[in-house]
Amino acid sequence: MSNNSNVKFRFNNSELWGGLIGLGLGLFVIRSGLKLKLGTINDPGSGYVLFYTGILMCLFAASIIIASLSEGGPTFGSRWENARWTKPLIVIASLTAFAFSLDTFGFLLSSIPLMVLLLRLIDPVRWSLAIPIAVIAPLGMWWILKRLLLIQLPSGIFEIG
Amino acid sequence: MSRPSRLMFAVAAVGMLISAAAGAQEYPTKPITLIVPWPAGGSTDLTMRAIAESASKILGQPIAIDNKAGGGGTVGPATMAAAAKPDGYTIAQLPITVFRLPLMQEVSWDPSKDFSYIIHLTGYTFGVTTNTESQFKTWKDVVDFAKQNPGKVTYATPGAGTSLHIGMEQIATLAGIKLTQVPFKGGAETNAAVLGQHTMLQADSTGWRPLVDAGKLRLLMVWTSARSPNFPDVPTLKELGYPMVYDSPFGIAGPKGMDPKIVAKLHDAFKKAIEDPAVIATLAKYDMVPNYKNTEDYKKFVVEVTNSERKVIDSLGLAKK
Amino acid sequence: MDTIINVAHGFGIALLPVNLVYCFIGVFIGTLVGVLPGIGPISAMSLLLPVTLSGTPESGIIMMAGIYYGSMYGGSTTSILVNIPGEAASVVTCIDGHQMAKQGRAGPALGISAFGSFIAGTFALIALMLVAPSLASVAIAFGPADYFSLMALGLVVLTFLTQGSMAKALLMACIGIVLGLIGLDSITAQPRLTFGRIELIDGIGLVPVVMGLFGVAEVLLNTEQIIKRDIINAKITQLFPSKEDWKASTGPVARGTVLGFFLGILPGGGAVISSFASYALEKRLSKTPERFGNGAIEGVAGPEAANNAAAGGAFIPLMTLGIPPNVVMALLLGAFVIHGLQPGPLLITQNPGLFWGIVASMYIGNVMLLVLNLPMIGMWVQLLKLPYNILFPLIVLFTIIGVYCSSNNVFDVYVMIAFGVIGYFMRKLGYEPAPLVLAFVLGPMLENNLRKSLILSQGDLMTFVTRPISATCLALAVVLLVGPLLPSLRKKRELVALDEGV
Repeated sequence: MSNNSNVKFRFNNSELWGGLIGLGLGLFVIRSGLKLKLGTINDPGSGYVLFYTGILMCLFAASIIIASLSEGGPTFGSRWENARWTKPLIVIASLTAFAFSLDTFGFLLSSIPLMVLLLRLIDPVRWSLAIPIAVIAPLGMWWILKRLLLIQLPSGIFEIG
Repeated sequence: MSRPSRLMFAVAAVGMLISAAAGAQEYPTKPITLIVPWPAGGSTDLTMRAIAESASKILGQPIAIDNKAGGGGTVGPATMAAAAKPDGYTIAQLPITVFRLPLMQEVSWDPSKDFSYIIHLTGYTFGVTTNTESQFKTWKDVVDFAKQNPGKVTYATPGAGTSLHIGMEQIATLAGIKLTQVPFKGGAETNAAVLGQHTMLQADSTGWRPLVDAGKLRLLMVWTSARSPNFPDVPTLKELGYPMVYDSPFGIAGPKGMDPKIVAKLHDAFKKAIEDPAVIATLAKYDMVPNYKNTEDYKKFVVEVTNSERKVIDSLGLAKK
Repeated sequence: MDTIINVAHGFGIALLPVNLVYCFIGVFIGTLVGVLPGIGPISAMSLLLPVTLSGTPESGIIMMAGIYYGSMYGGSTTSILVNIPGEAASVVTCIDGHQMAKQGRAGPALGISAFGSFIAGTFALIALMLVAPSLASVAIAFGPADYFSLMALGLVVLTFLTQGSMAKALLMACIGIVLGLIGLDSITAQPRLTFGRIELIDGIGLVPVVMGLFGVAEVLLNTEQIIKRDIINAKITQLFPSKEDWKASTGPVARGTVLGFFLGILPGGGAVISSFASYALEKRLSKTPERFGNGAIEGVAGPEAANNAAAGGAFIPLMTLGIPPNVVMALLLGAFVIHGLQPGPLLITQNPGLFWGIVASMYIGNVMLLVLNLPMIGMWVQLLKLPYNILFPLIVLFTIIGVYCSSNNVFDVYVMIAFGVIGYFMRKLGYEPAPLVLAFVLGPMLENNLRKSLILSQGDLMTFVTRPISATCLALAVVLLVGPLLPSLRKKRELVALDEGV
């Protein structure tokens, strides 16, 4: 990240957006705190600490925004410069798919394909190595947990595992 | 969640039927989680551990205790009612607050609908203690002090809306004094609070016993109907002029919709557990005796208790607005 | 003299062959569950409790205790190797430990944490033998107001964990507090920020948050880099700490031990706070604070010593008052009770053999752990030689399994994946996860104690200043906060530090 990529008053200033998200969260927390009732100082209610934490969040977010406007900050582009942004995206997508299949298909039927995907997509491991690893690692862990530590991993609708 | 195709749905349904049928026969096939809604180390936790230990031998599977404390012992059962599957692998201890709190405020559960009641087990001995170094030698000292300093007397309870909280407020009303409740999460914490003199009094179940035996705490009164054989010198509420008995009986339950066969299996195992001499001995350490009620009687009891609690809550002006 | 007789008596019991076997089984299982992230001592101990009932009370409790301190040893391994903290107390070990691994110094990092743990563990035991009864009062001296101030001090400490912008770190801390408060209110049982999701009623688990923010986010960050993607950038030079490493670590280990021991006595969060506090202290005392976060061995030695000493300190309130300071101790308490014993003020006098036997066995267990762990360092370091494209999928698999095992709940796996993605973007935008995690742990305690102390003081805020412990904590917090803002003061302090260094 080079210094000349810093920009002022630009909408792709990543610092500005970070601060704005923080501000939004802070406002949300303040609102939730108010809804949960502040109580009195003799007997603070459920929303008491949330409300004041929300105010602090807004203050800190505001200072980040002000700094981003006065000093500028790196653009989104520069943050991802020289980065293969598709790779994290692929991993995130595989993990999301895994999350949705875990409950339905169970641990073994979901994690073996996940391992194959990860082994082949990040930086392809040759098939003759990828397949054994993808099968043996989940199977091995499943066995250890089930037999030695008595922990049952989700088995899914087919009751496999 | 993805929408399964019709075929898959059929396969899943058949699979579930088979597994459900098999489940009732083989149950339990894996460790059971028993939620104890109090911090580890209090009297409930320790006695439930002893009971679970004995029941697990009968069931042939370990029972893991999961301490989910807070909300006067309601956080655990509420979480179970909301999130756990009624497969018999998650059950919880149900303290009386589960029935009482819904009368006092908005809550996420309905005691008449959200639980599969299994078995009623036992009840507590409650007592009020103070630090041995405190100025209070008897309960009368507390009343006298509180009359001159309204609201200055603080007492630690294991949570707002617990029998200890309600009981103390009732006592205060009868005595014409004002006390300030400080809600903790359970016995281990209230012990520390009164030992460190952060609160003047502690109102809790018998977790204080080793400390009273060691002379660190002074027991001012017990809330049972007769004096405790372990503390023959300590007066009961009735003797002090408050016509009340508090023992907060409790049992265990699972989430709603449990298979009656599984309920029966758990009931039998826990019934044997509270007949186990080792368990009775552990209970006796905390001045508790088994108070067995089967599944049907427990359900009736819940209705009775809810009605009587409603009267008390109304009379104290704590009812939900 | 009594003490010496008692200690001898204790070793007599601990050295019985059957007890040695139980002790070894305990520390071995402890090491195993410590290394596997997510599977903590709690689940292992609850499942093994019935097994211990077959023997004498001493054997059973010796084994349970072995699992506990054994897992404390293992907890740092994954932090150092793959940046996944095995438990909250190891979060801070990640910061410098993993940097050291990246520089090819995983061996010395693992080595110093093993030796540091051993030294701290041994010291804590000696202290336990000598002063246990007299320190019992420390555990109960802390009232709600004092806890509140201690937590506030803990949060101030987080400003020392950050390399970048203070505002960002503080914002992260606030978010951590809010995340920690999700779920039923511990005082009134009202659901907070649950968005009607039943899974959130119980709050978000620490394990999925930590594994997501550290483990998964780390993998995501690494996959996008083209050039330097191997975990190790440099060659592995040595397996054990060098002379310089030792010199640099002596002070931190000593200070971490004392800090950890005293904070460990306090019920609730002692080990976590002490590891963070030790890190902050070392960074503050260091002549080259800029090395922290870039693989400073002091940043591994201090916190690791602290959290092991805390494990020893935690036995004091249990053995002397019957008050368990954390869930693990409560499980031990359960074991005592099921064996027909009642921990409390009378335990040591009524059952001296038991108390001294357990303490002696812990000493032996610590030696066993050192012997068990040192040869494993070489094996762990070899693990880093796996090509990253095989290692990363395996890390993902282990985090998933670890998270699931910590709660038996698929929802936690979703939470971990979500926090992995959030953590990735946070790191890309220069927000660090450590302050969030610390605040997540401390936030609920901070809130609960603030509310209790206000009820106790009838809304009088002076209670935080008039109570000596609370006032001390707050004063320390102010000094820590204001200190860096006064350059003249800092210069003076650095000069003093230099003089002392000579």
